[in-house]
Amino acid sequence: MRNSGAVLILTFIAKLILQAAGVSPPGKPRLTSCRSPEKETFTCWWEPGGDGGLPTTYALYYHLENSETVYECPDYRTAGENSCYFNKNDTSLWVNYNITVVASNALGKNISDPVEVDVVYIVQPNTPENVKAVVVHDEQGPFVRVSWEKPRTADTRSGWITLIYQIRVKQEKDEKWEEYDAGMQKYYNVFSLHPDKECMVQVRCKPDHGFWSEWTQTTYVKMPNYIPRERSLWILITIFSIFIVLILTWTLNVKRNSMKLCLLPPVPGPKIKGFDKQLLKSGKTEDIFNTLVIQGFPPTTDYENLLVEYLEVYDNEEQELVLEGKELSEDFMKSKSSSDNDSGRGSCDSRTLLLEKCMDGREGSGSDQHQYSQHGETSWASTESSESQGAEPGSPESTDGRAKTWPVVFPQPHHHYPVGAVKPAYHSVPEILNQLSPHATPSNYHQLHHQDIPQQELRFSKSACRHSQSYNQFNLDGIDTPAPGVPPLPSLEYVEVQRVNPENMLLLRPLSDPNREPERSDCTGEDYSKVKVVTSHNILLLQRDTSHQCVDDYSQADQCTTQQPPHPCKPAVHQWNSVMPQEGMRVMGNGYVDSTVLMPSF
Amino acid sequence: MSRSLKQVAVLLVALLCLDPHSRVSSAPICTHGPSGCHVPSLADLFDRVIQHSARMHSLSNDLHSEFEQYFLPSKNSIGKIYRKCHTSSILTPNGKENAQKLAREELTEVILKLLMAWRDPLFQLHQSMAHQQDFNSFSSNKALEMGDMAHELRKGVEKVAEKMRVLGMLGNSVTGLSAAETMLPISDSGEAMSNYELLYCFRRDSNKVQNYLKILKCRIVPEHDC
Repeated sequence: MRNSGAVLILTFIAKLILQAAGVSPPGKPRLTSCRSPEKETFTCWWEPGGDGGLPTTYALYYHLENSETVYECPDYRTAGENSCYFNKNDTSLWVNYNITVVASNALGKNISDPVEVDVVYIVQPNTPENVKAVVVHDEQGPFVRVSWEKPRTADTRSGWITLIYQIRVKQEKDEKWEEYDAGMQKYYNVFSLHPDKECMVQVRCKPDHGFWSEWTQTTYVKMPNYIPRERSLWILITIFSIFIVLILTWTLNVKRNSMKLCLLPPVPGPKIKGFDKQLLKSGKTEDIFNTLVIQGFPPTTDYENLLVEYLEVYDNEEQELVLEGKELSEDFMKSKSSSDNDSGRGSCDSRTLLLEKCMDGREGSGSDQHQYSQHGETSWASTESSESQGAEPGSPESTDGRAKTWPVVFPQPHHHYPVGAVKPAYHSVPEILNQLSPHATPSNYHQLHHQDIPQQELRFSKSACRHSQSYNQFNLDGIDTPAPGVPPLPSLEYVEVQRVNPENMLLLRPLSDPNREPERSDCTGEDYSKVKVVTSHNILLLQRDTSHQCVDDYSQADQCTTQQPPHPCKPAVHQWNSVMPQEGMRVMGNGYVDSTVLMPSF
Repeated sequence: MSRSLKQVAVLLVALLCLDPHSRVSSAPICTHGPSGCHVPSLADLFDRVIQHSARMHSLSNDLHSEFEQYFLPSKNSIGKIYRKCHTSSILTPNGKENAQKLAREELTEVILKLLMAWRDPLFQLHQSMAHQQDFNSFSSNKALEMGDMAHELRKGVEKVAEKMRVLGMLGNSVTGLSAAETMLPISDSGEAMSNYELLYCFRRDSNKVQNYLKILKCRIVPEHDC
């Protein structure tokens, strides 16, 4: 007891001293790997675990499976430091080796962990040898043929070991290698290499069950610069593209017309219904203006709706006229056959009618001058033409079949409206008429208009008749004593009525004063304005047109004729008159467009 | 009428007898392609057999590594105690020289013995793997395929041996292999070997078979593969 205790204490003290001195038993070695290059011999390597400060020796011991006999490594040197080489005699296949390494020094020893090794499964051959890369020129282009030989130690001839090879290629400045499997053959053709570049080749091999060998040293080969191949490709491409261009050109040529239409669509010329550009070119103004006359104007279908209701104030004679007028208007409507869609059907062809009426000498009317301005779109209800129908002035409701108002666009803010209370731009007929009604003297009206206008003309001026009623109204007012509630009219003032369908609003536009005839003769054109645009509510927006001279007078032909025969505009009027056909044709002045758009379709 | 008929019959019989091609003789039934009967050469037979054995070995390798991965928790080498494979009684060359020293007949016999020894154990292996839930169907299918392959391989090697005997390359010293011992995979301790041990042993034996076949081939029909 004492001895053992003393021994322990001594050992402990010795260890402490040794530790203080820095020496210790060796560390545990470790077997790193065992490899066989040809399945006939093998080598095992270990790493030392630390020598503990003292010289340490290593010994490798092994025993075969199911055998307790322990052998020591036969050869420590052949394979280098810390290795053990088993030669052919000591190598047995298909047998497990149990290998351990023992490190020992003066202070003790240390045994590594055992490792089981079966040689068959640790085969790693040597690298292939004699790698050659040659450029072979072929008619399709050059390629590289890489050839090599098996590692010297591997015995593939007897079939003892079977090797498969792998080659990898990299061109200069590439980052990645391209790997190719060559199988069991000892050569490989590499295509897809870029010309005029240096290329690096490496080869390795592997047994059918085992590890890959290391890569061989790099073999360099330079690809030649083969242009002809690429050139032929470019030639092909050029020919193909020429072919395509030819086809395209031919196709374009065939379809050039449709291409033209597609790329350069024809600009639509000014479209005036009935206007023939050819006539313009030929220079016959008569023909031109003839073409502008609208067939079937004034519109007939809605004629009823547009007309102002007849006044019932007139006497028997007037009522007869009224009836007649109605009949006539209906006839007129029927007679209106071909209505030109393009042309404005705003008003009945009052211009024509009015002229006719005027021509028959309305001098008698004298002061009652109805100025009919037929601006392009103004189908103004200046149809005071004679149909002195005693429509009630105050009944312009369009809902009534009889009451029709002509859509008239007369924005004349500047114009002095004869009826004081009414604004120049838009007036409601009832309003106006109401104002004027007290002053209406149908008889006068009747006198004024009815006798002046021939019977036949009534037919054409159905709407005119209606309108004329209203105008008559105004006329009456103008002619006779002005209504008490109405400021005295300087002269006959006529209002052009334009109907607005939905609200039965008559857009009135004061006609120019007959007393201002000279002014009119100047063809100021203030009273008439060019239609600018048609809004959604069947409103014609006229624009001031101050550039018209006698041309305006042309549109004021009615006015001219009705007022005074000796009017400077007479020639135009005459011309216009002459142009006037029987049907309600409307002559269009320069820049004036038919107000057909305003009119409901007939 | 009967006379004419008789004459016709006689003529027909004569034609048949005289026609040399009408003789019916036994001919090998070739189930190969339209090119006619293509009798594979010995080299072809060897190639086929070697490919078969390679496939078999790779299967056994896969199964063994699966086992090792999933069913052996300890990678500790110490814990591995292998029992003897039941085929260890068969003397097999364990080196190249030893294998080359063997005569062709002996080598062939060794191969056949090995294959024969594994016929039943492989069947048992498949059965036990199929019954256990641990294995997925893929593994049990592999075991089944392995067993079939071993069977096929044995048949193939027998054919090769037959061919070699016909060609005079083999002597008649090859004993009847049907008399091969029906070895049961019973280890020394008498216990049945576990699946893992079976796989371990078979992996090794299939590698032996493949190796021996290659040596045999390169010895008998050396071509550029060798």
